[in-house]
Amino acid sequence: MSSAPASHRWRAALFRHETLLLALLATEWCYFNAVGAHFGTLDNTYDIVRHSVEFGLLALVMTPVILTGGIDLSVGSLLGLSAILFGKLWRDAGLSPAAAAACTLGIGALGGGLNATLITELRLPPLIVTLGTYSLFRGLAEAITHGSDTFTNFPPSFLFLGQERWLGLPAQAPIFIVVALGVWLLVHRMTFGRCFRTIGFSPEGARYAGIPVKRRVGLVYVLAGTVSALAAIIYTARLGQARADAGTGYELYAITAVVLGGTSIFGGVGSVHGTLLGIAAIAVLDNGLVHARQPREAAGVLTGVLLLIALTGSVAPKLWAARRRRPAASPPPPASAVSPPLATPPT
Amino acid sequence: MSRYFREWSVAAALGALLLVLAVFAPAFFQAQPLLSLAAGEAPTLVVACGMALVIICREIDISVGSQFSVCGVCAGLLAAHHAPTAVALLVAILAGAALGAINGALVAGLRLPSIVVTLATMITWREGLNWWRQGEFVYLPDRLQWFGLAQATGQWTLIAAALALMVALAVGLRRLALGRFFYAVGTDAEAARLAGIRPQLVKFSAFVLMGALTGVAAMMNVVQSPQVDPKSGTGLELKTIAAVVVGGVAISGGRGSLWGAFAGLLLLACISPALIHLHIEAYWEKAIQGAIILLAVVADGVRTRRAKS
Amino acid sequence: MKKIALLLLFAGLALAGCSKSPDTSAPGAKKLTVALLPKSKGNAYFISCRIGAEKAAADLGVDLIFDGPTDTDPAKQNEIVDNWTNLGVDVIAAACENKEGISTALRKAQAKGIKVITYDADAQADARSFFVNQATPDGIGNALMDEAARLCDKSGEYAIITATLTAANQNEWKKYIDERNASFPDMKLVAFRPCDDDKDKAQAEATALLSTYPNLKLIMSICSPGVPGAAEAVKQAGKAGKVKVMGLGLPNENKRYVHEGVTDSVILWNTQDLGNLTVQAAVALVKGTLKPGDTSFTAGKLGTFAIKGDNILLGKPFIFNKGNIDQFDF
Repeated sequence: MSSAPASHRWRAALFRHETLLLALLATEWCYFNAVGAHFGTLDNTYDIVRHSVEFGLLALVMTPVILTGGIDLSVGSLLGLSAILFGKLWRDAGLSPAAAAACTLGIGALGGGLNATLITELRLPPLIVTLGTYSLFRGLAEAITHGSDTFTNFPPSFLFLGQERWLGLPAQAPIFIVVALGVWLLVHRMTFGRCFRTIGFSPEGARYAGIPVKRRVGLVYVLAGTVSALAAIIYTARLGQARADAGTGYELYAITAVVLGGTSIFGGVGSVHGTLLGIAAIAVLDNGLVHARQPREAAGVLTGVLLLIALTGSVAPKLWAARRRRPAASPPPPASAVSPPLATPPT
Repeated sequence: MSRYFREWSVAAALGALLLVLAVFAPAFFQAQPLLSLAAGEAPTLVVACGMALVIICREIDISVGSQFSVCGVCAGLLAAHHAPTAVALLVAILAGAALGAINGALVAGLRLPSIVVTLATMITWREGLNWWRQGEFVYLPDRLQWFGLAQATGQWTLIAAALALMVALAVGLRRLALGRFFYAVGTDAEAARLAGIRPQLVKFSAFVLMGALTGVAAMMNVVQSPQVDPKSGTGLELKTIAAVVVGGVAISGGRGSLWGAFAGLLLLACISPALIHLHIEAYWEKAIQGAIILLAVVADGVRTRRAKS
Repeated sequence: MKKIALLLLFAGLALAGCSKSPDTSAPGAKKLTVALLPKSKGNAYFISCRIGAEKAAADLGVDLIFDGPTDTDPAKQNEIVDNWTNLGVDVIAAACENKEGISTALRKAQAKGIKVITYDADAQADARSFFVNQATPDGIGNALMDEAARLCDKSGEYAIITATLTAANQNEWKKYIDERNASFPDMKLVAFRPCDDDKDKAQAEATALLSTYPNLKLIMSICSPGVPGAAEAVKQAGKAGKVKVMGLGLPNENKRYVHEGVTDSVILWNTQDLGNLTVQAAVALVKGTLKPGDTSFTAGKLGTFAIKGDNILLGKPFIFNKGNIDQFDF
């Protein structure tokens, strides 16, 4: 790979973000294993998986969005809207759960398409567009259900998806694995997706390189919408109920997992395996604290602190290096906070 | 005229809404309810001014709701333990400034992205406050409400104070060097640095100022009722960001004015009572808010496109 | 290459951890653990339930875990129940936000030998052994409507302030209020507005309601932060006494307004007793002193309570007003 001596490569690998995150995950696991009597059991592990699939899906699909330098705050609200529309299609329009699910995925894609159009055609900042759709989608969900209407009594064959086990694994796990693999392949292996980081690093440069920036960026938002709808279906199956407030706050969990995993919010840097580790870190923390008999607020505070440490950790080496590189003779290289930090080469 | 085009458009939209209300629900225009509404929104205006400053610098602060709750509870607890009102106010401001300084240090000092930093601090302060207070109200002494003045006087005082702060900040943005630096740093931090401005210091001051203003706003909220609800800051970040953006402050920094934030806030604050007066069901409120935000943003985009072509 | 090595390392750790078999030691060997699940932690109502619960736990010498979502969140409730099931508590006492969804999780807990009772809001009948019922939803709805009618002399316009539009309890109470309203044909509901469990928002909503409906005679708040919020709005509008304020709320939050004559009555039940009774019933269930088919349950100092079917009845809703509100501190 490089001509650097092996010891340097090992040191570089040791201090990579993902390695540290892995170490954190291992520490969490060992600690909770020691403190909680039933933490490390298979049942509990399956529950950790079951509880984290929905926001995990959102985090997975948020990764390419953030890699392109954008953000999507509306995924949680779109989850809620998709959930109630799914319920409505099944209950009021009489569709079978499978047909209703297919339509819901289409609705999710439409929702994502709205974001995509506003962001790519009108060149609007993703933060504000998705802030608007965050309110709009939730508002539509409330308006359609008048707030109080909920959808329940789904057939057991549908609830199986969220609550039972299939081939020994929680039923929603294979879906998550497929989506995770798909997103990983898209971002890391397909030429189609490898441009995401290029776009995040420099949209203009990407355009000059011949990449159809608008189409690619549009696609990630449509993908985000579709996967939000998928997460909505799984949420409804797990809970047995579709409500207008489904998914409230999930976008923040998703963003936390993505950033924890080492993806830079400025775009251009990051990985899907990092996000997976981030999802695992948050899910294990949430679950483990219950076994450690700590209140829920502890999970919130620790997640916030963890995020800050992760952010600081990813930036500290570069600042340290910048400081060390500053000799007395020449002026320091400008480290602008506006342009993204120097990207490590994509793998 | 075209310089404040956006602000005037928002004012026009507000005017249209008021016209509709005048025709279909003239009961909206009664003195006391409007006064109560205005006094209730005065703290939000103060926070919106701070948010405008931060966004002009091309950063963002989504932790203001949690800061507001923390400052309010601190001030309330002090007052409940017989501290003088002035001390409670001072502590609220200092607490807010301290929380803002933490955000500022991380964003300006460590060059971390503000959206994630403030996301982390939002979660930390909010959950920390919940852990500490467990949702319990803080019961205040009688003399604290309206600073001990009569209700109407107190309400006018709060409104006047909020407006005075806004005017002072607007003037400062225009006349003070630091104010011009906010715009410079928001437009292009690198160019500002080459011009001799220190962008990191400017951004740090924006966050500290935001925190201090949040502290003032929290105190303004505390004196309006005999109890402090630790949940009182919920949704404040969405409200103020929406108001500021609708009012024309560009999220990409360097553009916008406090008058726009004011107009945006007025428009959004009127929606809820307007819905009640027009007998529109409550479940439309969020959808309407979202639609207004999108409309404002799309108008921005269309205008920029037309300007470019 | 290195990443693969590290991934394998993690997988190895995970498997090493997973191979631990579940703890099968008898629960009686250590202190009993009661897990109490509120609908939301930040709610003063459940905080006062907690106080009663902690008292009972101290009296009986058991461990009490009190944990729940910060805001009402049925998905989070399910997760917490799942986690407690894995943790291996002895009994779970849950206030259910989502009847169907949480029943699945509770049934799983029962399958593992954990006892389950519900309080405040029930689950499906086969998912729990008993339901500690402080008041049936129709009892609450009727009490609210009856008191409202009494305060308005059976005729007039009134408005209801609720928590959020999706809140399950509130929606159920509203259903029964609407039904009971039919017995009072001259009482007219003019508005139903949410306050998102925020006292300040409730105040703003009430202010607008007062100016929209000049003939409004009463504001009823079916969420506890809404009562002081509406009271403050009525007071600031100068309409104290002309527009009645009442609702479901806690005595402490409303004492001031009740004494000033702004709020007329606050309906609730003794939430501390509810928490206390819940924990006592939970422990009795584990120990076997409370069995299905019992017709009454003696809860130590609290007294004896009737059991109707599988509902342990706390009693009727209690009306706090000027005359008695000072006797209570929660």
